[in-house]
Amino acid sequence: MNIYQPQLALVTAVTEETPDTRTLRLELKDEALRNAFAFHAGQFGEYSVFGAGESTFCIASPPTRKGFIECSFKAVGKVTSALREVNVGDTVGFRGPYGNWFPVDDWKGKDVVFIAGGIGLAPVRCVIWNVLDRRDEFGDVTIVYGARSVVDLVYKRELQEWASRSDVRIVTTVDPGGQTDDWKGEVGYVTPVVEATAPQAQNAVAVLCGPPIVVKLTLPVLERLGFADDAIFTTLENRMKCGLGKCGRCNIGPVYVCKDGPVFTAAQLKELPAEY
Amino acid sequence: MTSADPTRGTYFITEDDLRALTGELLGAGTEVIAPVALDVCASPSAIASSACLRPGVKPIDIEYRALESAAQLNLGSGLPVLSLKQYFLPEYEALCCWRQHGTEIEIEAVPTEFAPRVVLAAKPCDSAALAVVDKVMNWDYADELWNGRREATTIVNLACPVVDESCFCTAVGTAPDDAKGADALLTPVEGGFLMEATTDKGRALVEAHAARFTAEEGAGGAGARGRQAAEERAAARARAAANLEIDAASVRDWIDTHFEDPLLAALGVRCNGCGACSSVCPTCHCFDIVDEEEGIGKGTRRRCWDTCQAPTFTLHASGHNPRDSQNPRYRQRINHKFAIYPLKFGEVLCTGCGRCTRVCHAGQDLVEILQAIDIAARRREAVSP
Ligand SMILES: Cc1cc2nc3c(=O)[nH]c(=O)nc-3n(C[C@H](O)[C@H](O)[C@H](O)COP(=O)(O)OP(=O)(O)OC[C@H]3O[C@@H](n4cnc5c(N)ncnc54)[C@H](O)[C@@H]3O)c2cc1C
Ligand code: SF4
Ligand code: SF4
Ligand code: FES
Repeated sequence: MNIYQPQLALVTAVTEETPDTRTLRLELKDEALRNAFAFHAGQFGEYSVFGAGESTFCIASPPTRKGFIECSFKAVGKVTSALREVNVGDTVGFRGPYGNWFPVDDWKGKDVVFIAGGIGLAPVRCVIWNVLDRRDEFGDVTIVYGARSVVDLVYKRELQEWASRSDVRIVTTVDPGGQTDDWKGEVGYVTPVVEATAPQAQNAVAVLCGPPIVVKLTLPVLERLGFADDAIFTTLENRMKCGLGKCGRCNIGPVYVCKDGPVFTAAQLKELPAEY
Repeated sequence: MTSADPTRGTYFITEDDLRALTGELLGAGTEVIAPVALDVCASPSAIASSACLRPGVKPIDIEYRALESAAQLNLGSGLPVLSLKQYFLPEYEALCCWRQHGTEIEIEAVPTEFAPRVVLAAKPCDSAALAVVDKVMNWDYADELWNGRREATTIVNLACPVVDESCFCTAVGTAPDDAKGADALLTPVEGGFLMEATTDKGRALVEAHAARFTAEEGAGGAGARGRQAAEERAAARARAAANLEIDAASVRDWIDTHFEDPLLAALGVRCNGCGACSSVCPTCHCFDIVDEEEGIGKGTRRRCWDTCQAPTFTLHASGHNPRDSQNPRYRQRINHKFAIYPLKFGEVLCTGCGRCTRVCHAGQDLVEILQAIDIAARRREAVSP
């Protein structure tokens, strides 16, 4: 079997997150492969609808939960629109896991601050659950999550679950104008909300994912809060095709994002040409 | 004359014997790919072109083609319009096929083993490009489709006299008489060709057709043919070097450290992103992956050539485009070939074939561009302590 041939995966659950975003739970059909499948938080895959093509999403479920993977995606184009039509019982294609990962094991004993904007919560969710599934290995856990509006918040049930835990501090926010009458969270863009939340930086790491503009604006805020460049982790979402370091699509400067990434520290980001 | 001694590397073969060998291969059912002269005017799309209306003129294109007969083998010095790349990374290549039965889907694998085949009279810049691309096709994940075709193919180069002023192979570490990426090298000499087998596959080809070869002194050896071959090869190298001489290592380091330099940042002004340069380039290997339905519930997933010069190459679904104009896209072409790839894989992603310069209707000239970068790099070295 060549490296571009996908595995078949069964859709076993579908969650409509927002009007344009949904989460699929997938189980590899081949039992041996399903049982052997292992990955790290932050890795991604190529998901396909036969006839529409392949699309790149992070694996949004944590590696601590076995037997299935989940992906959450926003319908923005050809493949994502086709994936929006699939139902429980349908078969899709999957290749992966690919890329590097968050060095979660190195964070033992540290505080972890999660910051996500929009669908950027998908890769962060994987790490959040990974950390919460091993809760006593880490210090304080803070989550700051922002979306355009209340309907655009993804993983609503999990946001509530995290909010109800005493060992998690969570701040959710929506852009000005995106709030509803009964909205109890913050109103404002993610960046100023992070600044106001002011997580302490001593012996802490920050995980930051979101649209390029959110990442760009929030990095200096984290710096002001005292986070060192190598304590800030983010993911790049350059367009990809192969995910295997062959097709050239994701190359920027010295890195192939699909192999050398998608996880980078702010220190590594500063060394790259601004082509992300 | 005595028949060939397969333990020795250098042989002589007449043109008649080379064609007879070609005939033997074809007769045995082996695919033979070689330069062929094509009548440009025979293509329906070319009928209106003015060149075809002029009496007494018969414009031809040279292309690598699977031969139908040994007579088609073109042993002239013309450069095929498209490189050998198409036979290793086809323009459209199936990655897998699918068939849907209700909600069930079945995947059919594509073969990754290929029948043995031979390339004759390959351009040294084209075989060298395969050895360069081998690196990206094999870091970590191995591309079995590429590797399968590489392993199945025996490549015999024909030393090149240097085609025109766009050639610059010697500036990027190869040469008009290089056997890099190939298994043997033919050099034209009085009465035929010297044939040097440089790999086991090359030696096996000689062995299988031993009666066609006679043992010979190597190029530069004592024999008259060896001297002739050495002289002509040296002259060809000098012609290539006269077109362009750069210090590829300092060009690499300068590009790597001068991303924002106005010289690099404005390189794409004339380019309009047509991507012709990538199509003709033997080392450009970027590809897209697309699904093509072939009737209801079945189809093929294919990869097809792509180009970093296209605006859609890096366009995010959100509309954000990290390389949002032709300047950064052209800079990527230069950066990837002359800095990124050399730093990552130890090889320049260019063999100096000059095709991109010849094909570009906008006048982007790689010789000129590399010269300008080389001057900038040398200037820096001159001023730094
Ligand atoms: C490592 C990584 C992880 C990611 N994780 C996630 C995730 O978890 N969730 C998520 O939602 N997204 C994620 N993304 C982004 C996701 O990959 C894209 O949103 C998705 O691939 C879009 O696929 P599509 O086929 O639906 O869009 P496409 O149909 O490919 O196109 C999207 C848009 O691109 C443009 N476009 C494409 N082709 C052309 C063309 N030929 N001509 C003109 N315009 C064109 C159009 O504007 C189009 O609307 C991730 C990306 C990466 C690299
Ligand atoms: S350099 Fe020339 S051939 Fe290449 S994309 Fe630009 S215009 Fe086309
Ligand atoms: S970049 Fe131009 S000169 Fe270099 S190998 Fe490609 S087509 Fe030939
Ligand atoms: S996605 Fe193909 S090289 Fe990275």
